[in-house]
Amino acid sequence: MDFDLNEDQQAVLESVERLLAQHAGPARAVALNRAGDYDHDLHAALEAAGFNQIARDLARDDTLAGLEAALTVEAIARSGGVVAAAAQMLVAPALCERTIEGPVAICTVGELTQPTPVRFAAHARSLLVLDDGDAYLVSPAPGTFEPVRTSFGYPMGRLSEGASVEPDREGQALGAGAADTLRNWWRLGLAVEAVGTMDAALGHTVEYLRQRRQFGRTIGSFQAVQHRLSLCAIEVEASRWLTREAAFHNAQPEAVAAAAAYALQAADTLFTETHQLSGAIGFTCEFDLHVWSMRLLALRQELGGVGAARRALVEARWGAA
Amino acid sequence: MNYGFNSEELAFRDEVREFLADYADLDGFYCQGHRWPEVRSMFSAMAQKNWLALTWPTEFGGLGKGPVHEYILWNEVAYARAARNPLAAGIVAKSIIRYGTAAQRATWLERIRTGDIHFSLCYSEPEAGSDLAGLRLKATLSDDGTCYELNGQKCWQSYAQDMDFLWVLARTGTQDSRGRGLSLFICDKAANGVRVAPLPTLDGDQLNEVFFDGVRVSVEQRIGDENGAWSIIGEALADERHIQFPPGRVRRDLEDLVAWLNDHDLGHDPMVRERMADLAARVLETEMLGRKVLATMVAGGNATVDAAMNKIIHTTVCQDIARAVLDLGGPEALVTGNRPELIWRQSLTETIGGGTSEIMRSVVSRQLLGLGG
Repeated sequence: MDFDLNEDQQAVLESVERLLAQHAGPARAVALNRAGDYDHDLHAALEAAGFNQIARDLARDDTLAGLEAALTVEAIARSGGVVAAAAQMLVAPALCERTIEGPVAICTVGELTQPTPVRFAAHARSLLVLDDGDAYLVSPAPGTFEPVRTSFGYPMGRLSEGASVEPDREGQALGAGAADTLRNWWRLGLAVEAVGTMDAALGHTVEYLRQRRQFGRTIGSFQAVQHRLSLCAIEVEASRWLTREAAFHNAQPEAVAAAAAYALQAADTLFTETHQLSGAIGFTCEFDLHVWSMRLLALRQELGGVGAARRALVEARWGAA
Repeated sequence: MNYGFNSEELAFRDEVREFLADYADLDGFYCQGHRWPEVRSMFSAMAQKNWLALTWPTEFGGLGKGPVHEYILWNEVAYARAARNPLAAGIVAKSIIRYGTAAQRATWLERIRTGDIHFSLCYSEPEAGSDLAGLRLKATLSDDGTCYELNGQKCWQSYAQDMDFLWVLARTGTQDSRGRGLSLFICDKAANGVRVAPLPTLDGDQLNEVFFDGVRVSVEQRIGDENGAWSIIGEALADERHIQFPPGRVRRDLEDLVAWLNDHDLGHDPMVRERMADLAARVLETEMLGRKVLATMVAGGNATVDAAMNKIIHTTVCQDIARAVLDLGGPEALVTGNRPELIWRQSLTETIGGGTSEIMRSVVSRQLLGLGG
């Protein structure tokens, strides 16, 4: 048994964190989110450094390097990077034989027939679409999606009025089993992003509570506060290990469903507790907690959220109802 | 035992509802920062009925009604989402009635009663939030004893950008005197040395920082004794406990969510129905706790613990409804400005503002359960 990263994995993590220190961070995320923009510079830097293809480049015996890609996505989420990392680094390599053009967005076919906000859709050059038993790759023409105003930390887009996307006609079918593959890797991506995002939200909160003094002592020194933060830390750590295991097994359905069900539930706890314990400053835009916390709620909205992940877990373990 | 209202009270409720029908689209409860001219106009219309002075004694121009009428009024206003109760007619006026001099009553009460002037509460500071007794904004009496000079900073003031006057809690004693060294002042927001700076918040509105740089305030604008503010603000808070967190808001949140679910054909889903049943029971819980606060006040008792319990549950239920809004609303609930998103956004600060849930829990554990520490 070994929970530690090996030297190569550690090197991947350190390398992407060095890049992110230069090209990402909460201040950048705030500026981009205010304008509803995508971080094309960060995307290009990750591309140039080879991270967008890491799952395939580090593959062994035709087995994707899911864990290495997950570590990268987790670090990007921790940095508040405004890029479609999970779709690009985890989902696309599992579905497509060749590298597809980014940014990559993912949606269900229902989100096209009944236009619904989709993360990164307004900036996407490639769109992965999940239908019941099929999956498609579509290259949306510019203007197909229009930006949606949101304060939940990601640029979002919705099918423009008068526009349509019919994946089965204009897209590339991704073959037998692709729908399950897309569903599992998408769910894995959500869990991985949640882990990095929760980690940063908790870290930001703990650091503040170490400094903030009331009643002549730091807020973090109150036992009742410590207990709640401890429970948050446990949920983040458990989410991390469940998710890394699912990534290590390249999105094995039951492992993914368990990781997502747990991590996306933890995301709600982390949102509530980090804001409550940060007090009034936590709700101001000047305090960076929102860079991560708001995203946690957005992640919970995709692919049916916690409820769908739980149903997937039951089905994977005990079979369909 | 009777949880209900008598016929006269019900008639008053009907009159309030009739009045509010004209303000159905005001949305000032959620969006006062964006709708202040309209909200102010509604307060002026309420003043025409003398409702801003509903419970003031008649000798000060009020209607002399009791807390039940006040509860009915502001509960209906909250249900209609028209506005939050104004501080001027509540905390400020009631403190002046109780502790002001004859001259102060003459100067301020009529202007407040008619809705001509409005106040922002300036209590919290960057280093004094939950620990209010630790505040530092200094008020120094001039050598000739005619005025005070205010220096320091307040933080997290709601609506200060729109108000006319500031109700300032300041230190007149030594720093270690804690609550025994505080005094209350009325300060014109337009006075030299006052600066209000916005603190944009995640709900799309703003709180404010208020800076005082050598602001001169006459001794006639100190309400109550020097160093005597702690009991004044405590009593003013006690006066308002039944209207601070009116359950009408929570009931309306639930009804809006139900309407949204039915509009989106989600009302038949058994899982949704189960969740809504739980929320419906919790809304009843807040209504019972809200009325318990009122009943204690009507009986002349101390409603501190009742109010703390009510605040904890009311604000938690607000957030539970908001969580359901997001969980059931899907990605559409993330779009700025649509109804589910607005319900969610407006629940954010409830468990912080007006005394955090943690402070309220301490009140319950100490004063109800008798636990020390």
